[in-house]
This record gives sequence, structure tokens and C-alpha cells, in this order.
Amino acid sequence: MSNSLLTVNNLTIESRSGELLLKGIDMEIEKGEMAALIGESGSGKSLTARAILGILPEEMTVEGQILYKGQDLVKLSRNEHYQLLGKEIGIIFQDYRGSFTPYIKIGKQLIETIRTHQSISKKAAKEAALLALAETGLDPKRVYHSYPFQLSGGQVQRAAISMTLALKPNILICDEVTTALDLMNGEKVLKYIDKARKETDCAVLMITHDLAQAYKWSDRIHVMYEGVIVEDGPTEQIRFHHQHPYTKKLCSSLLSLPEERQASTTEGVYSL
Amino acid sequence: MSILVVDNLSKQYSKNVHALKQLSFSLEQGESLGIVGESGSGKSTLAKILIGLETYQDGGITFQGSPIAPKKRAPLRAYRKNVQMIFQDAASALNPKLPIWKSLLEQLKNYKEFTPSFIDVEGLSDKDIARELLGLVGLDSSLADRYPGELSGGQKQRVSIARAISLEPSLLICDEPTASLDVTVQVQILTLLKKLQQQLNITILFISHDMRAVTFLCERIIVLKEGSMVDQFELGKLYEHERNPYTKALLNAASLD
Repeated sequence: MSNSLLTVNNLTIESRSGELLLKGIDMEIEKGEMAALIGESGSGKSLTARAILGILPEEMTVEGQILYKGQDLVKLSRNEHYQLLGKEIGIIFQDYRGSFTPYIKIGKQLIETIRTHQSISKKAAKEAALLALAETGLDPKRVYHSYPFQLSGGQVQRAAISMTLALKPNILICDEVTTALDLMNGEKVLKYIDKARKETDCAVLMITHDLAQAYKWSDRIHVMYEGVIVEDGPTEQIRFHHQHPYTKKLCSSLLSLPEERQASTTEGVYSL
Repeated sequence: MSILVVDNLSKQYSKNVHALKQLSFSLEQGESLGIVGESGSGKSTLAKILIGLETYQDGGITFQGSPIAPKKRAPLRAYRKNVQMIFQDAASALNPKLPIWKSLLEQLKNYKEFTPSFIDVEGLSDKDIARELLGLVGLDSSLADRYPGELSGGQKQRVSIARAISLEPSLLICDEPTASLDVTVQVQILTLLKKLQQQLNITILFISHDMRAVTFLCERIIVLKEGSMVDQFELGKLYEHERNPYTKALLNAASLD
């Protein structure tokens, strides 16, 4: 496909003990697309992300292709791969506390990150940092001068997003970014990711086990189970016309809100 | 009769941090009451106060007609038997160095004078009682000899539920019991709580930020924001009145569109 930004072909990952962790994954992510990768713990979602980022443990064997802008990421050396991180491929993790060093103020860390990737003056980097913080709805001055522990979880996660988005990556990988946040803060975080995607046309790979979130925000859903993508398609199709038994099980475990319950047949559980 | 009455409860952590502001509500026998709100709304502080892990400055708590004074030991012992709690992090609720069956029996060992009515303990060894408890929460009895590290998150949460109900509490407080579990496991745990509630006639106080989970389990819901109750409603009457904007925001955050 002409529009494809990232293409994963037959990606297979084997652990040192010979266990197959990913069993031939195919996935295509288009420019500006919000793709969701859903599945339960241990299904291989994060492993896929790590393969794209090139941060898998050395003892794992990787086969297959990950094509990004005409180059195969699997074949790159570690150093070459690292060159792409941040600027081309951005990542936000679930553990927002780990995104910042605890004893350095957020502002200083933002400047450091920005200046690692762009050769601009400290002053310009500070301006860029404040702007990035404001973009995610934070009080830029306060957050800039705060240590991570002085902020709430939602605020730190949004600061981490500002840091990642300040580098304007082409593809953003979000690994369970809202799992540690409550729903209200999770919504805010997703809103800013979505806004940035629309403004900069960057693609987003959203890894989550939260079905409601995938339904609400993604254009396309890939369902993963035991190292295999068992089904993928446009969000509407997965939501209303899924085929695979596992997708069925997953989709039926979404609890319904009272207003949705009127349309459902099973007590309390969203059934389609 | 109300089993629990919370009257004007206030808790201040420091000069500027008011975790709870004059909170009042009551809980009927056999009811499941949901408390919903975002991080920092005071949900967990309330749970901690109710089981005596945290003190409070103002107001009072009445349980089954008698006031609970946090400093008198003897009445507190009986109170704690009757009020059990399940936490979000099941992993840290179980001692990693104890096999499951020993963890399960900890509560019963604390209250030797008590025997649960739903198990016929006559002639049963300790381990057998633990196996019965596992069966009650839908776990295989072979898990009795395992250690917490060998169990999945959902299984560990089931074990802590079994331990909590082993004393047949009148009130079970659940503080975000499903927040760190997969969606499919979440449904299983909530369904289990619903089943146990009906089977054993337990009153449940269910604390969560997830509107979906709360409306699944609870008939009545209180919305907490910055330590104050901003809204309360019965599930069936949710849409009868114009709701508080914050309730709407919570529902909106959970909706799919």
C-alpha cells in the first residue's frame, strides 16, 4: 500500500529457551492513523512494540521484517536503530514515573531531550519545552519548575507526552499509557494524543487492554492472542462484526453503562 | 436498619489538604453501594478510615447501631471481623512466602472462636477448609499448596476475596478491586462479587473510578469529588433527573463515543 508508514511482515520472536513469543505477525500502519493493538496480558503486545523500537533483550531471536521508510528495522544495528528513536519513532510508557529522573526538574529534562535531537540554543529549547507543555493542557511554568513527584500521575504522564511530542515523531507508540491513570485523566491524555496526531499527521500505535478506549479512539484494531494477530480490521468492523472466538470473548467482556444496557440482551454485559 | 452510618466525616491530612469534607451517607443491610470519583477524590481515604487504618478529625461512624471509636480495642476487634476489605493490589495483600492455604486461613486463625456457616468444618483439616474456601471463589483446590508468585493477578484477587469472606463479614469494602486486571478478568471478578453478595447476603461498599464497573455491581451510587459528595442516585433513576456536571463528565469519560 502506498500510504503505509510502517509494515510488519511475518515478525517472529523466539526466546532463548526456544519458546515462540510472537508467531508471524503482519501489521500495517498508515500515516496519520490511530491503530489499536489489543489483547490480554502476555499476548505479545508490548513485545511487538519493543521489536519496533529495537529494545528487545539481546538473547531473543527476531525474524521477519519491520519496514519503516524503506528500511528494515530488524536488520539495523543497535546504534542505527537508536538514531531513529525519539525523532522518528516516539514512545510513551505505562509507567510514567519511569519516564523522568526523579531528582531533576521536568523543565531541565525536557530541554535535555529536545537539545539531544535538535541543535538549538538553550533559550529556544526552553521556549519549545514550555510550548509543548502548554499543548497538553498543563500549566507550563509550574510543571517546568516542578520535580516529577510534585505532580499528579496524570500531570506527569502528560508531561511525558509533551516531551515525546516536542520531537514531532512520525510514529508514536503508546504502551498502555492510561492504565495507571483514572478514567478522567486517561481521557485527557488520549485527547491530547489525538489532537497531536491530527495536527502533525503522525501515526499512533495504541497498545491497550481497554476495549472501550480502543473503540472510542482508534481507526483500526488489531486483536492479539498468544503471539498471533487473530483478527484485524476497521474499528467498526471489529466492534460489530468480529469473527474470531477470542475477539468475541474480549468484546463480550466490556461492561455496559446503564444507557447502553437497554440495547443489550445479556444482563450487564455488552453483547452485540 | 442501616448497617453503617457515616455522619459528617471530615479528614484533613495537612493544613491545605482536605481529603474528606463533611461526608454523610448510610448503607442498608444487603445493599451494594458504589463510590465513584477520580484520583484524589478521597475514595481510598474513606475506605482506610472505615477499616481503622486511618484516623479522622470530625464526625462519626456508627456500625450496626453502635458508634465506632477508633481507640478502644475490644469493640474494634469485633468490628474488624465484621468489616473486611479487598484491595486493588492483590499481590501485596498476600504474603509471598506463605503458601496460599496458610494465607487463606490467617483471618480464621485470628478469630478462633468463629466458624464460618457456609462450610461444614466438622472433621476437616485446616488445609481442607482452605480448599473449600478456594472452591467458593471458583478456584481449583490444587492451588492451596502454591505460592502467590505462581498465581495470576485474577487468581490472587480471588484468593483475597476468599480470605475476606471467610469471616462472613456483614460489610465488605472493595477498593478498586479490578483496576489492575485485564478486561476479561475484571468481568469474572465482578460477577463473582455479585454472586457472593447474593449467596451470603453481604453488604458491599464498592470503590472505583470506573463507571462501568460501578454500575455493573451497585444499585446505588455516590459521586465523590475533592472529598465532598456531589451527587447520588439509584441506578434505575440515573436518567430521571438532570445530573450533576461532574457525574456527566464521569459517564462521558466511560462512554464509547
